[in-house]
Amino acid sequence: MSDFLTFLLIVIESTIRLATPLILAALGGLFSERSGVINIALEGKMLAGAFTAAGVTYAADVSFGMGSASPWVGLLAGMLAGLFIAAIYAITCIKFKADQVVSGAAINILMFGIPGFLSGALFLSSGSTPQLPKDHLLPQSPWIIAVAIGVLVAAIWYVVYKTPFGLRLRSVGEKPEAADAAGVSVSKMRYWGVLLAGVLAGMGGAYLSIGQSSLFTRNMTAGRGFIALAALIFGKWRPVQTLLACLLFGFTEAVSNQLQDLIKFPSGEKLPVQFIHMVPYVLTIVVLAGFIGSSRPPRALGIPYQKEK
Amino acid sequence: MKYKLVVLVALIGLVALALTGCQETTASEDHSKIRVGIVFDIGGKDDRSFNAAAWQGVQRAAKDLPIVLRDIEPGTPNAIEPAMRAFAERNFDLIIGVGFAQAPIMELVAKDYPNIRFAIIDGESKLPNVASLVFKEHEGSYLVGILAAKTSRTGTIGFLGGMDIGLIHRFAKGYEEGARSVNPNIRVIENYVGVTDAAWNNPGKGKELSLAQISKGADVIFTAAGNSGLGAFDAVEQQGKQNGRATHFVIGVDSNQNMVKPGFVLTSMIKRVDNVVYDIVEDVVNRQFSPGIHVFGLDKDAVGYSMDDFNKDLVSPDALQAAEAAKKKIIAGEIKVTDAIGT
Repeated sequence: MSDFLTFLLIVIESTIRLATPLILAALGGLFSERSGVINIALEGKMLAGAFTAAGVTYAADVSFGMGSASPWVGLLAGMLAGLFIAAIYAITCIKFKADQVVSGAAINILMFGIPGFLSGALFLSSGSTPQLPKDHLLPQSPWIIAVAIGVLVAAIWYVVYKTPFGLRLRSVGEKPEAADAAGVSVSKMRYWGVLLAGVLAGMGGAYLSIGQSSLFTRNMTAGRGFIALAALIFGKWRPVQTLLACLLFGFTEAVSNQLQDLIKFPSGEKLPVQFIHMVPYVLTIVVLAGFIGSSRPPRALGIPYQKEK
Repeated sequence: MKYKLVVLVALIGLVALALTGCQETTASEDHSKIRVGIVFDIGGKDDRSFNAAAWQGVQRAAKDLPIVLRDIEPGTPNAIEPAMRAFAERNFDLIIGVGFAQAPIMELVAKDYPNIRFAIIDGESKLPNVASLVFKEHEGSYLVGILAAKTSRTGTIGFLGGMDIGLIHRFAKGYEEGARSVNPNIRVIENYVGVTDAAWNNPGKGKELSLAQISKGADVIFTAAGNSGLGAFDAVEQQGKQNGRATHFVIGVDSNQNMVKPGFVLTSMIKRVDNVVYDIVEDVVNRQFSPGIHVFGLDKDAVGYSMDDFNKDLVSPDALQAAEAAKKKIIAGEIKVTDAIGT
């Protein structure tokens, strides 16, 4: 029994670590999508955050001798990098009314290349940053992170549902004409949504590089931005449900990590790794198809707002 | 009218083709130096491991020998073929492909350019203009398996592979056999980061898998996972030290990784990709290039384990003796290490 409890504890800890980047990115996506802007660029923003955080932490430590403060400087820089990329995205999508999916994909492709280019210039490397020692990383205890995430989700829930800002944000995503007629600036609210998404996705990326790992490597997000997007849809664009969806994704991955090499057929043959790697995705399909019911996006999602003349 | 237009376009095309052809012949005649192009694997030349070793080899060659060196790091697997063709179109003297994944692509490209010499690392091709440079990773892995088993106190050791493919199984199998030669009842936990090429670049997942292995009792982890393997380094470092000695160890791969996390790296299973790459460039410079399959094992000192100031206090003399004895026996043919690919 106690064996089972230790196993459970290990899986829970691992779930929290694996879900954290997803939760941050998905909550960022929530702000953006609730305001009516599709955020397919989460992956790119995470990459920007991850690269900047790892690079700045290293520089803060080595060049400025900031020691244990350096990961916090790195985290802040990662958030700013996410903000910067989001600003580019916001201007193309909101001011110039470009197609949101296409410009989002462009951001992703851009961020696939830029870290490689910059790391060449800064670290004489081609796509990775120097590895950091373990005392220059964000807190490793999953419980500290769990508390931080809990507070963040509560705050976001409050902002989205209980403040005038949240009401305006949701209204421009549902019916921008009506919001506009009521005197709400649609583009201003959408800028807020997209920029907040950038900050949170950048934070998620930073956790990935200086929390979960200790360096940036090329394309290290490995699709996590898209999984976060799936979790957002799965969570019906609501903070708490999105959190639960991310935790489910994290949990399935944690379990599949534990199961590798553990399950054997009666004949003694090991279960192929490919099957284990399938578990999270199969479970996702089952849950999405069977238990979630219909998931309705914000009505104006993906439609640039054109003021009537 | 339409017919004339088609003819015109075709003619322009022909002339353009002919012109580029001319340019290339004159260009290649002008070059007194041997031109070498290298196409890296998806991990990139900074993986501190396999690609990094190849990069060191060509860089050293560029310093010592009269060659012009160009390199390409493909961002996606789709970019490998155009990269190789770009070198071939420019009539390079030697094109080196790094990694097993490039073998089928090189097979296609090398057929189209029979006058250009190609070299593939970790892959095999029977074409008359391709040199296949393959290593007996299982022999080196056998030795680090012995060191792992001699060092482990829990009787459980881990293996962290990158992509689940035959080449990596070769590391795993050799490692397991080496460990079992010391302790037949040892438990070897074998994990893979993924089944696509993204598996080489996911240190977060590498760390999680290593932590899972540690939670199951593994206290030595051998990684063959490119950048993802660096996650295993973080995982063992996190376990900390007791009385000045690390409680858990990692074994690096391909390059000497002992200095990555000093004190936590038991040893590295080195694969002298650097020397082999250097030699093939030198062969081309001396006009001694020989195609076919070249196998590099313990006998040629092309695989092995690294010992230096960073790990001399971590490996016990007893373990070292056992590994050295096994090395002699493997070279003499008294121990046959299973090759998981079976060539």
